[in-house]
Amino acid sequence: MTTLLAFYVLIWPALTLGVLVVICRAVMRDRRQAREENRELV
Amino acid sequence: MNSETLYQFSTLTVVLLLLAFYGGTYLMTLGIRKKNEDADAFMVSNHRVGFGIGAASMTATWIWAASFYAAATSGYTYGVSGPIHYGLWGALMILFIYPFGRRFRKLAPNAHTLGELIHARHGSSSQLILALSNVLGSVISLMVNFTAAGALVSVLSPLSFQAGVIIAGVGVLLYTLWSGFRASVLTDFAQLVALMAIAVVIIPAVFFAMGGPSELVAGLSNLTAEQANFFSSEAILKQGAPFFVAVLAYAIGNQTISQRLFAVNEDHIKPTFLTATLGYGAIVIGLGMIGLMALTLGIQPLNGDMNNLIPQMVSGYLPPVFIALFFILVIGSLSSTADSDLSALSAIMMADVYGKNIARGKADPKRMLLVGRLTMIIATAAGIVFASFSLDILVMLVFVGALWGAIVFPVIASCFWSRVTNQAFTVSVLVAMVLFCVARFELIDLAGPGGLFFELLASIGGGVIIGLMVFGFLGRTAGFIAAALALIAMLVFATGFLRDYTVLLASLTAYGTSALVCVVMSLTSREEFDFDTIRERVGDYDDTPAEEPVATPGNTPVAAGLASQR
Repeated sequence: MTTLLAFYVLIWPALTLGVLVVICRAVMRDRRQAREENRELV
Repeated sequence: MNSETLYQFSTLTVVLLLLAFYGGTYLMTLGIRKKNEDADAFMVSNHRVGFGIGAASMTATWIWAASFYAAATSGYTYGVSGPIHYGLWGALMILFIYPFGRRFRKLAPNAHTLGELIHARHGSSSQLILALSNVLGSVISLMVNFTAAGALVSVLSPLSFQAGVIIAGVGVLLYTLWSGFRASVLTDFAQLVALMAIAVVIIPAVFFAMGGPSELVAGLSNLTAEQANFFSSEAILKQGAPFFVAVLAYAIGNQTISQRLFAVNEDHIKPTFLTATLGYGAIVIGLGMIGLMALTLGIQPLNGDMNNLIPQMVSGYLPPVFIALFFILVIGSLSSTADSDLSALSAIMMADVYGKNIARGKADPKRMLLVGRLTMIIATAAGIVFASFSLDILVMLVFVGALWGAIVFPVIASCFWSRVTNQAFTVSVLVAMVLFCVARFELIDLAGPGGLFFELLASIGGGVIIGLMVFGFLGRTAGFIAAALALIAMLVFATGFLRDYTVLLASLTAYGTSALVCVVMSLTSREEFDFDTIRERVGDYDDTPAEEPVATPGNTPVAAGLASQR
């Protein structure tokens, strides 16, 4: 029960971290692509 | 731990924190600022916003200050499943709009608002109903976010509530006013990074500071049987079900979502919406867990105000630096939503009101920008005034929720079914609103045949919601089957029962009535609308070539050529 509850609470910040990494990498890729195409990011 | 007061920052510290946040955000927008902004870019950027910025902006916009407080309240009230019943349905609002969003984008790739699409499909009356629902929603959202800023500043510092409201309002307006949506999406990314990074740190920090897993398990004895049950029917009926009913309504009725839908690169719509769904769910459910922790510890909310739960936990268990981080977390979440609301309101006034109904195809891009910026200033002033007077918005919220529910079927049907007419759209929404009011305010006796009548309409509403959700992902046949099964289940289980839950009954009545009237009127029409004409009727307003960004603010835009709006 202890492990299960710990997992239940901590899985959300772990998922948040995962999404944060995905978004940051994607933005860096967007930025690089925008530069290559000589256009603005937004 | 039942602290009587929360940690207090000095006035100087809070002013410096706010200055750093809004000053930093403002400086960020200087990098993309143009002397002459483009009217279309002001509303939806270049229709090619990448996956990363798009997903970040969608997530940051959907998370507002109330998300944290309400998720924690849900965890505290309903126990183990509480945070899920708040965060999951909120996240699904983003997910369920995605299949319909792809259709909207396919029909009108160059649109700025959903209202423009509906205008091209039906005309002004339907479009203005949608625009009105969007405006009301965004004004309420602005007011709630400014109120949250005032409340936070006043509980954590000697500054007054009004000071917090004004600083947040002026701060958001300052960085959004010149570049509009472009500034909003760019700053959303930075705000989301801060928000996520802080959430990643704060949730485990509070968890381990309160004693970790063993303390949480020990505290489960403080929970009632319903609170300890992951499949609690009380949590489902009181928290999950009303949210589930609102899933499609919130997504359709909110211009902030459709604005991003029309801005994101068309190829990236799917990953953008999926990532935003996951991101929103993870952050909000995670912060909701702090409410569950408070419940297991037997903590009473300060002054009986549930909104104090998270500040209390952070203040009671963590050092001041974490309280400062929490402060930034809330300010970041409310600012990202408020700037999106300002951008949404300006786009509605620019495109739906000025572009379609005043200029009527001869929109001047320069004047459009002026309309957009004036809208932002007026909306901010209105938000500050409403928030400062702490107006009771309950009645307004009730009507906006009903209006959003009533427009769901007509909007979606209009984009898939060629026989839906402008009259069917308008009449169905108006009839649904009238019947909603009758049910919601119990204007007739719901104990007798009147109750049965509304339960039948509500059952149709239940079928419509399930049917549309399944239709979005699995197609028409599966949608019809799911709708029929849901309708039968509702008729069996809701009859004689739902009349006791008037809020749910009235909401479902709005869906059911508008769908029924819209279908009957459309079936009697002989219209066969050609969807290809929408693409031709909705286009860009500004044909001015893009300029290089400049780093100096305060320049007046020069006149652009007359709109190429068709």
